[in-house]
Amino acid sequence: MMQYLVILLDDSSVSYCHCDNPHKEHHLIGLDDLRAGILYAMKQNLMIQFVYPDYELPQEYLDVIDTIDHHDIVPHPMKGDVVVAKDLETLTSMQADAVAVLRIGKAELFASGEAIAAILPKVQRLNIVITDIDTFTDDDLKQYNSLLSRLNEVLKEEYLTGHTPQLNLLTDRMMLTKPNHCNAGVENITLAPNGRYYFCPAFYYSNPDDSIDPQAIPNQQLLRLDHAPLCRHCDAYHCRRCVWLNRKTTLEVNTPSHEQCVAAHTERNAARQLLEAIRQKATFMPEVEIKEINYLDPFDVRKEW
Amino acid sequence: MDLYKIKDNEPAWQSGMSKNITFIVTKDCQLACKYCYLVGKNVKERMSWETAKTFVDYVLEHEDEFREESVVWDFIGGEPFLEIELIDKICDYLKLRMFELNHHWFNSYRFSFSTNGINYHTSEVQSFIKKNREHISIGITIDGTEKKHDLNRVWKQPTADANGLTQPSERGSYKDVVKNIPLWLSQFPDAGTKVTISSADIPYIKESVLHLYSLGIHQVNINVVFEDVWQEGDDARFEEQLMELADAIIDGGWYQDYACSFFSEHIGKSLDPERDNQNWCGAGRMLSVDAAGNLYPCTRFAQYSLRSKKALIIGNIKDGINENLLRPFLTLDRITQSPQKCLDCEVASGCAWCQGENYDAAQTNTIYERSTAICLMHKARVRANNYYWNKLYRKLELEGRREEFEKNERDVKPEIC
Amino acid sequence: MKEKVGQVTPEECSEIQQLFERRNGLNELAKILTPDNDALYQKLVKDMGETGTKFQNWWDHMAQKYNWKSSPNGHWEINFDTCEIFLSE
Repeated sequence: MMQYLVILLDDSSVSYCHCDNPHKEHHLIGLDDLRAGILYAMKQNLMIQFVYPDYELPQEYLDVIDTIDHHDIVPHPMKGDVVVAKDLETLTSMQADAVAVLRIGKAELFASGEAIAAILPKVQRLNIVITDIDTFTDDDLKQYNSLLSRLNEVLKEEYLTGHTPQLNLLTDRMMLTKPNHCNAGVENITLAPNGRYYFCPAFYYSNPDDSIDPQAIPNQQLLRLDHAPLCRHCDAYHCRRCVWLNRKTTLEVNTPSHEQCVAAHTERNAARQLLEAIRQKATFMPEVEIKEINYLDPFDVRKEW
Repeated sequence: MDLYKIKDNEPAWQSGMSKNITFIVTKDCQLACKYCYLVGKNVKERMSWETAKTFVDYVLEHEDEFREESVVWDFIGGEPFLEIELIDKICDYLKLRMFELNHHWFNSYRFSFSTNGINYHTSEVQSFIKKNREHISIGITIDGTEKKHDLNRVWKQPTADANGLTQPSERGSYKDVVKNIPLWLSQFPDAGTKVTISSADIPYIKESVLHLYSLGIHQVNINVVFEDVWQEGDDARFEEQLMELADAIIDGGWYQDYACSFFSEHIGKSLDPERDNQNWCGAGRMLSVDAAGNLYPCTRFAQYSLRSKKALIIGNIKDGINENLLRPFLTLDRITQSPQKCLDCEVASGCAWCQGENYDAAQTNTIYERSTAICLMHKARVRANNYYWNKLYRKLELEGRREEFEKNERDVKPEIC
Repeated sequence: MKEKVGQVTPEECSEIQQLFERRNGLNELAKILTPDNDALYQKLVKDMGETGTKFQNWWDHMAQKYNWKSSPNGHWEINFDTCEIFLSE
């Protein structure tokens, strides 16, 4: 069931997910389109998430935005519910009560283990988005494993002292007993500055011709978990199951690439280790069970289902 | 006394255990059949030896990626025998390389051809057959009576259009094909023919199948086209034709030595969502290569086969296969791609689909939307099929031979594409 | 005339089918391979000898194991689909 409407206020609105925003030029959404989007959300009972560019909006826009309950996704150093860091440096000066998002390539990520370890105790929640996850190699996987092990050490100490920072890559799976995917096109859709609707910002960024009619999405069932043959058997519950990445890498919205599955399972297995490590010292999330498995890509064991 | 028998539909060689690898050696054909799904046939795209050799080297040198027990090297067109010289060279190279590399497929391979039969008698084709006699399977397509065959299977115009695309003429090809049938059957007595039925062919089904039997063809593999070509009332006319055919086969005693794939005891049952969830189509488990060196999960995904979608290329002979692009094919199941009406259908078994046609007809660029254009035709087939088996079993019962037949019956599972 | 005289296991059947296929493959390879390709030609000749021996050994071994009926002018045949052995005269 649709629950959220994401509204990109400008072509240069900050990207907070896998896909880069190629638009550099400022181009605000039309005021009429903005009003129409808000009206649509009100009628459909959708919570709005506004996504901001890195400049101050005209007052008339702020007035319209203020007519409805909403969340703000903003670039650093603006204030919002979700703040996207420009880089690792800016993470340290983030507001403490916001969700921090760090978009980062794998090479930089692997080189930044200690920096992230230092930041973790200072945040409430950090979402790390690996922007080139579709290029993961076996060697990357080893480095990723090492990074997650290092972050596990920090998280374990924090949790045992009663401070529970959230890191999407590790603690989400530790807390989940059922899938928590992005669900673009099923639970949320996006209104772009051109006044058209998309499954999510990435579909707009990568091809503006990919717009949809939100009232009649063809083959919408393929976006649902029950129509994803691999994912519906999978217990990497924290995985975003990004339908844009799926389509980019396998040409089908319901099929993830090998690289995505392997990365998500590496995180899952690290979350399992974190959970076990915490439980050695304290009672913690007794309802969660993460089983030991012998694969990283569910595709490899598909015949066992 | 010989065992009393009913001829089964023959399963394909090493069915389920073989890799099907197809060379699209040419997109040209002497014919321009009106129902042909190859909308982009042309005289320009012919495979070069270099492309074929590079592809063979790629496949054979990646044995770990192709673990199937057996291989069928398939040659398709257009009309493959237009390129018999190239095919002969490819097959020789395949044999040499499989042997040289100690490849496990040297112990289990076939060369397979679907031909229009026009060049079958030529010395080049005959010499090739002689050379590879133990490893060849050839199907000649003949649609039935002269009238039925010539309705669709016509020669192309002598010249192509400005884009190099072929156009149909009015000249039928029956006589040019039927002259080669005795030679073909003398060399391949168990060979079957493939018959395709579209809307205009329905009135000729019975006489066509019986005609093929009379030519000595014991196995008639027949199917309705998957495309959305059906007119109102076609299902009723189809059912009537099949019932007349059933009467003729049973009353004439043909069923003992001749088979028609329309009639099978395995069709028309409901399917269990858990147990019977496998995909029908083999796309993705097959591999095709075209003249440009592009790789496809099946020939139906090459551009010349597609009306409204872009070719679905999964790699090329230089870089190999992008395994991520194969994942949707290898995880595709019946439930995920079928609409609810198919899942609820009480006569679902045996209802086929073509992944390429599904892709071509889908609302979005997906292979996960099953086309149901043949729904009414399948249901008509099931009704006629039920009639066939009820009538046949009653006949056997009255002759006191039913028990004997059931004891000797072979368990033949429906073939996947 | 054909008479069913026995049956082998699927594994045994698969073994002789592979040898049968290999023998056919070698025979057809022999039609195109010439002695000027010396290394491959030698490999072929050796393989033909070995495969022929294995082929005959299989029949000898199975005949002994199952003690099939035989006749002076007959020969045994196998149906690869059913693993049945027939005496053909």
